[in-house]
Amino acid sequence: MSAVVVDKVTKVFHPGRTDEVVALSDVDLTVGDGEFVSLIGPSGCGKSTLLRLIADLIPPTTGTVTVVGKSAGTARKEQAYGIAFQQSGLFEWRTVLKNVELPLELRGLSRAERRTKADQMLALVGLSDFAGHYPAQLSGGMQQRVAIARALAVQPPLLLMDEPFGALDEMTRERLQAELLAICAQTGTSTVFVTHSISEAVFLSDRVVVMSPRPGRITASIAVDLPSRDDAGRQSPTYFDRITEVRQALRGTPVKSTP
Amino acid sequence: MLLGVAFWVVLWEGYKAVGSPDGTVLLGVRVLPRADDLSMPHLWTVLQRLGRPELTGGRPVWIVVLSACLFTLGSTAVGFVIGALVGLVLAALMQRFGLVERGLLPYVILSQTVPLVALAPLVAGWNVLWPEWMTVSLIAAYLAFFPVAVGLLRGLQSPASAGVELMHSYAAGWWRTLVKLRFPASLPYLFPALRLAGAAAVVGAVVGEISTGTRGGIGRLIIEYSREATSDPAKVYTAMLGAALLGLVVAGLVSLLELPLMRHRRHVAVVTL
Repeated sequence: MSAVVVDKVTKVFHPGRTDEVVALSDVDLTVGDGEFVSLIGPSGCGKSTLLRLIADLIPPTTGTVTVVGKSAGTARKEQAYGIAFQQSGLFEWRTVLKNVELPLELRGLSRAERRTKADQMLALVGLSDFAGHYPAQLSGGMQQRVAIARALAVQPPLLLMDEPFGALDEMTRERLQAELLAICAQTGTSTVFVTHSISEAVFLSDRVVVMSPRPGRITASIAVDLPSRDDAGRQSPTYFDRITEVRQALRGTPVKSTP
Repeated sequence: MLLGVAFWVVLWEGYKAVGSPDGTVLLGVRVLPRADDLSMPHLWTVLQRLGRPELTGGRPVWIVVLSACLFTLGSTAVGFVIGALVGLVLAALMQRFGLVERGLLPYVILSQTVPLVALAPLVAGWNVLWPEWMTVSLIAAYLAFFPVAVGLLRGLQSPASAGVELMHSYAAGWWRTLVKLRFPASLPYLFPALRLAGAAAVVGAVVGEISTGTRGGIGRLIIEYSREATSDPAKVYTAMLGAALLGLVVAGLVSLLELPLMRHRRHVAVVTL
């Protein structure tokens, strides 16, 4: 069973008005079980809109979105996915542990159960020592790790991420990318990952989906098969080939290579 | 705080030293107050007056002022709580329904422009069941609800869209989003509003007491003493000192409430890993 099926989805903002925007036009996307898919494209191509459609934060104008076999709305109500944004969105008045417990509280788990699960998640992202700290005391990278722990707290089958590493420096990004892959491998979650960075998309994904703007649509879907997802992988020829392929797809024209 | 008090002492006595006893008149208008001992008694005289009896053979002034302050504090507190609760409900309703906000907010603002002195007899006239001091509390509540309604509304609308979308992704409805996100996020806006509301409640209570003629409160005392201003100028200032102290106490109590709830803001050291 596929984690996500997006079927002929169109999204129009402000239909019929002068500021009407066709954000997405006839988009089809399938994310398999356990697959890591990146959405990449220039600003305004609709990748964040597509993510929000999958998350049922906005409704499609036409078409259907199916998440783990259910409608997007049902999936949201059952907390079938975890989501992480570019701003970590941690509640500053709650400790790190209580932030991770938030989705568990909303699910109605008992205090002991919440505590256990939250501790597990913090251990997964390597922040057990900071359970009692407040978000303001942590660096940006650590805050994002807490956000990831929170997104995975209810152990959902699907993880949605909207440029979560966008505000971080390159070194921290690379570290968190490796950590994210390890976590996804361990938990077996399918992931839809929106990014601006070509190298990030290629390093992380099984498949890179390229989108183009006005109206938003998918122009290419590039499978990535790196020998290994680590530093060795970042230096392999396949890595650079795929990056070139994605760059070409983004520009719509072949990229000249120097002889 | 001592520095602030010292500042005012220096200002007061300094002006008395350099100012003209008849005040400074410019083009027929008195721009600076009179600096003679009748209009501006020396601060030491005021403090001394606190110690001496109110009238010949009566209780010392400071006891009279203190008991009046406590009386007014009671009605102020009730008014403050009522006003805060009304402000809370209004803010929540206005956050929930944009229509309510657009429709109600102008009237909320307009309500504060009504002269309190005109309102007081009106409220007193409604009195069917409650004791006299309740009228004063209601007037205090009338002034107190406004800063809370406006400040809390601002606070409830403050969370970033990432936070609101997050709660939406958890399928949390309006109430749970209010309790878990909006209300805690609004505390930095609520506390300054509560401090303002406290000060407004004191003003409302004092004006209410004066307008309704309620005995036992500091408002009545100010009026009574002001009638003797020409013969006993220091006594009026003792009453005013009491009223000012009342405002400070209310503001201080609100700040006390803030301490445990804003603990998370006091940790500043950042860890980097």
